[in-house]
Parts: sequence; C-alpha cells; structure tokens
Amino acid sequence: MRKFSFLLLFATLFIASSCDDDTPKPEPAGDIQITFKGNYDGETFYTQKAYDYTDDMPVRFSAFNFFVANISLLEQEDATEETELIDIDFIDLGFDETQTAEAEAGVTVSAMKVPAGTYRGLKVGFGVPADLNRTNPVDYGSGDVLSKTSHYWSAWNSYIFSKIEGVADVDGDGQFETSEGEGLTLHMGTDATYTERILFPSSPIVVDEDGSINLTLNIDLKTLFYMPINEYDVNNDELLDIETFNGTHTDSELLIAKQLMRNFSEATALD
Amino acid sequence: MNKWILSILALTMIFLASCKDDDGGGGTIDDDMLSADDLTDITYDPQTYELVVPCDFPEMEIPSDNPMTVDGVELGRFLFYDPILSADSTMSCSSCHLPSGSFTDNEAVSIGIDGVAGTRSSMSLLNVGYFYTGLFWDGRVTTLEEQALLPVEDEIELHTTWPEVEVKLKRSEIYPTMFRKAFGIESKEEITKFLAAKAIAQFERSLVSSGQSKFDQARCEPGVFLDPLELEGFELFTFEENEHPGCTHCHKTIAQLFTDNRFVNNGITDVGGTAVENLENFPDKGLGAVTGNIFDNGKFRTPSLRNIANSAPYMHDGSLNTLEEVIDHYSSGGFSAANSDANVMPFPLTDQEKAALLAFLRTLDDDAFMNNPAHQNPFD
Repeated sequence: MRKFSFLLLFATLFIASSCDDDTPKPEPAGDIQITFKGNYDGETFYTQKAYDYTDDMPVRFSAFNFFVANISLLEQEDATEETELIDIDFIDLGFDETQTAEAEAGVTVSAMKVPAGTYRGLKVGFGVPADLNRTNPVDYGSGDVLSKTSHYWSAWNSYIFSKIEGVADVDGDGQFETSEGEGLTLHMGTDATYTERILFPSSPIVVDEDGSINLTLNIDLKTLFYMPINEYDVNNDELLDIETFNGTHTDSELLIAKQLMRNFSEATALD
Repeated sequence: MNKWILSILALTMIFLASCKDDDGGGGTIDDDMLSADDLTDITYDPQTYELVVPCDFPEMEIPSDNPMTVDGVELGRFLFYDPILSADSTMSCSSCHLPSGSFTDNEAVSIGIDGVAGTRSSMSLLNVGYFYTGLFWDGRVTTLEEQALLPVEDEIELHTTWPEVEVKLKRSEIYPTMFRKAFGIESKEEITKFLAAKAIAQFERSLVSSGQSKFDQARCEPGVFLDPLELEGFELFTFEENEHPGCTHCHKTIAQLFTDNRFVNNGITDVGGTAVENLENFPDKGLGAVTGNIFDNGKFRTPSLRNIANSAPYMHDGSLNTLEEVIDHYSSGGFSAANSDANVMPFPLTDQEKAALLAFLRTLDDDAFMNNPAHQNPFD
C-alpha cells in the first residue's frame, strides 16, 4: 500500500511538472502610444485663433480632423515586414485657446501587446483605406470611429477622410464672415485621396518587454496647403488660393483634395 | 372616560390604517391589490417589443439595462401622456410633444404649468432613439433615461418633484400593476423615478418613422418615384453644385435621419460681429452653457428634417415660422459670429429652386407616424 502511494505521488508530480512545460510562454511584448499634435507654421495649433495665411489674409480655423489607418511598425526600411498597430482611428485636433493643455498634449492612440523588438520605421495612413471605405456609418455601432455620419459624404460613396474648416478674412475688413462667403470647407475623401507616409526616426524604435513607449507625430496644418498645381495657386505663393477654392466637394475640385491629403506626408514629422 | 378615549383612539387608528392604501386610488383594480404592497400575484412575463423600422434605417442601439418590452413601452406611453407627472396635474410630457405636431407643440417656445414661457421650441421626438450624441437642443444629457427625469422637476415645465410623483404613482389605481408587468417589481415601494424614466425612454424609442413617407416609399418600394420637382429638390439638397453648399453637410442622408448629430452655430442669432468676445452676447448659450466653453456658445443640435413640415416653427428659439423662411435664412448665410459653422454660407436661389427644395422636404412628411394608434394618448 505504501509503495502504491509513493507511485501515485510520483506519477502526479510527474504529470504536473510536464503540464508546466506545455504551457506556451507569452511572446515578449510592450505597449506603444502614438500622439498626434497639431501645429500651424511651427507653433501649437488652435482653432478660432487668427493666423496669417498669406501676408494680407488672416484665417481662423474651426475644425481640423482626420482618420488615420494602417499604422504599422516596420522591421526594415524596405517595409517588407510590418507589425500592425492600429487599423483605423480618428484624430480631432480641434482644440481652441481655452484648451491649451489638451492642444499641447495632443491626441493619443494606443497599441497594446506589441511584439518586443527593434523597429526601423513607422507607417501611417491618412484617410480610410479602400476596404473600409466600402462600408458606411450604418454598418457600425455608435461607439465605433467609423460610425460618424458627420464624416460620410453620400454623393461620393465615401467617408470624409479629413475636414479642415474655418473662415478667411478675404476682403481684409477685419471680420471673419461666413455670411459674406468667407467660409472655408475643405473636405477630402474618396479612395484616390488616401495617403500613406513612412517615417524613419533618427534612432530605432525599441519596444521592450513589458515596457511602454510614446511616439509623437507633429502635423503642421499650414503645410497641407502647399499647392504645386499652379492652377490652384493663382497667387504663385505656393499656397492654395482659398479665396477662389474655398471648398472641395465637386469632381472638379478632386485634384485639390488629392493634393491636400498627399500633403499629410510632408506635414507629418516624427519627434 | 379613559377607556372611552382609548376605544375611540383605537377605532380611529384602525380606520386610518384601513384607509392608507386607498389614497389616490378608488377604482377598478382588485381590492387586495390596492390594499397590499405585494404585487407578486400579478404575472410578470416580459415580451420583447419588436421595433419595426423602415428599410435602410440603422439598427437602434438599446441599452442592455433597459430592453424594450411590450409592457414597458405601454407603461411609458401612459406616463408620457399622464398629467400625474406635473405638480398640479395639468400637464404631461405630451403637452409639449403632441403626435399631431410630430411630437412638438408647434409653438415658438413652450409654456409650463405656471404659465411661464421657456426659451426654446420643443424638439420633435421622431426617431429620438437614434440620437446618441446628446439630447435636448444643448446636448446636456446623453441618454433618454437621463432626459426623461429632467422636465418633471424643471421649474418652468412640470415643476414638481420626483418624490411627489413617486407617491402618486404608488397610490395610483393602474401604475403598480403596470410597473409590475413592465419591470417585475414585487411591491409598490419599488416604484422609482428611475423605472418611470426607463419606461418613458422605451416609449420614446418606439417613436420611429413609419416608412410611409413618399421619400421612404421612393427608396424602398418598387414603382414609387419622386416627381421631377421633388427630384430637383433632392439634388439641390444633396449635391454641392453651382454654388449650392449641399444641405447634407449637416442634414446627413446616409443613416436616413437627416442630421449629423452635431451641435453648431447656424447663424440664427446676431451677436454683433465676429470678435470672440461677442460670443458672450448669445441670449441662449446653448451647448456653451453645458460645456462652459465660450466657443460653444450659441451652438445647438442639428435637428432631423424628417416630417419637418409638420413641426413648425423652426430653430431652437422657434424664430422662423415656415420652411420658406428657413430656406431664405440659409440662402442669406445668416449672421456671422466667431464660431459660425463654415458650412453655412450664402448661396443664390431662384424661385424654382426654392420650390424644388420645398417639394423635396414635403416628401419627408410622415402622416402615418403621427396617426399611428400606438403613439396616441391612452386616456382619450
């Protein structure tokens, strides 16, 4: 009987120890926060603040927001291997001067359990990728970023990827008057305007096991307005002529929308 | 003598005790039910309320802690129409939200039980269950359950207190049974303002478009078409061409609700210019009074345009009497302020185009919704 007891105990311990070995160990992983901050001509961006657009035309913005998508870490500079962090999110940088802390803090999106390792680059998409752009807000619950009816334009069958709204003092009378047609409603969308940007920091992005890192992306709103297409830059000052082209909603304005979205690449810098 | 006094006292106490449960009652319900707090003899068998919505409408999000039931919606309908919710039992929710006005009162501003006028026009409750981004004109609450609590204690609306209403509900002939059937309470004492608000919210969620408007029929039923004028209006409404800004910037059609669920300054109030300090001049600060942010002053919810022709007058302050005036307002560009919505800009409009826009808006008329027996006053 005693021998039997010993055997039973031995067998139990053996099974228990072998079970331990079968339990898969979690892959080493850490967390990443990506913070988007808005600037205008190098300074912290605020809605409702008057900025010089051109020397003789101030502008006050009321909205600056956009979707970001397919945010990935790149193991190599050739972008052959990507570690996806965030499929889609919405960034609203519309903070006014009563919200200085929020504006300076920016908007942060998080990715958890990112495989630990050393990465060379960060890819960020601006807009809604084609596969998601085939859906519409009705397909999503109210808490989902893609449920925003305010950012869907039925005439395009597309999400509005980015909205830049404001008022320019076009007539120079010191008043910013939507009632005088000085409003600015730049709404960009359709698959053709989706833009991706790959950023390579000066030093690699290192994700440590159980660690947390923050990457900051500064986006300069004024840079979005640089317009190499002469047709839309009648003043030859390299900026979009917002007096003439104060909206981007029709087919004929698609080229402007494309360029504005393309400019997100140039306007985005990784701290 | 002492014995005689004691006897009278004892008889009086017995009499009072026997009267206690009859307060506010007197009626048709079984005496045992009235005299006892215990409601467990009444069957509680909740049946899911099947919400029928028109084609292409989104699925309504129902809070998990307040599922819609047949008895819950019915209780909500009774409470919605019952003046028991006001201090002097003269007004109910329906006093400002009448079916015949698409659940508005068709007044510029509403007047409460004391004859005091409010500052805002009552909002239509049509499809209110879909509005997830803030209720009331100023977005001060986010759920219908929260919303339903407020008018009862508002000094210029029903001007009573919930404890008083709760007492009346507990003493009522009908409500203990209805609360039992709706929520499974076991005693009258479990009747609370929160359950009342849940029931009203359930009824409000049932106030959905009928699908019988011409616009919905043209979308969903074969062989129904908009006429050329209505179609011209739809195109003006929807597409931004020839300097027309497109009404759908704010009155979005994608979810069929004709609102973007945002809060904007649509230029209805002249505050004296576009300097930031002029934002203090809004007589009604709207969202700004809720957030405390000056740049939110004068911002109000974008209302749905469904059944809009039946919910005049228009704007948060009821300052525009007709749809013609509304169209003229937007065509003029309204008044500029520092926080004016950039999408509200002046645009040219011919008489023909105006007629077309009006014709299109009338395709959103929904008489079947207003006449739906399930939405009517149960006390009539």
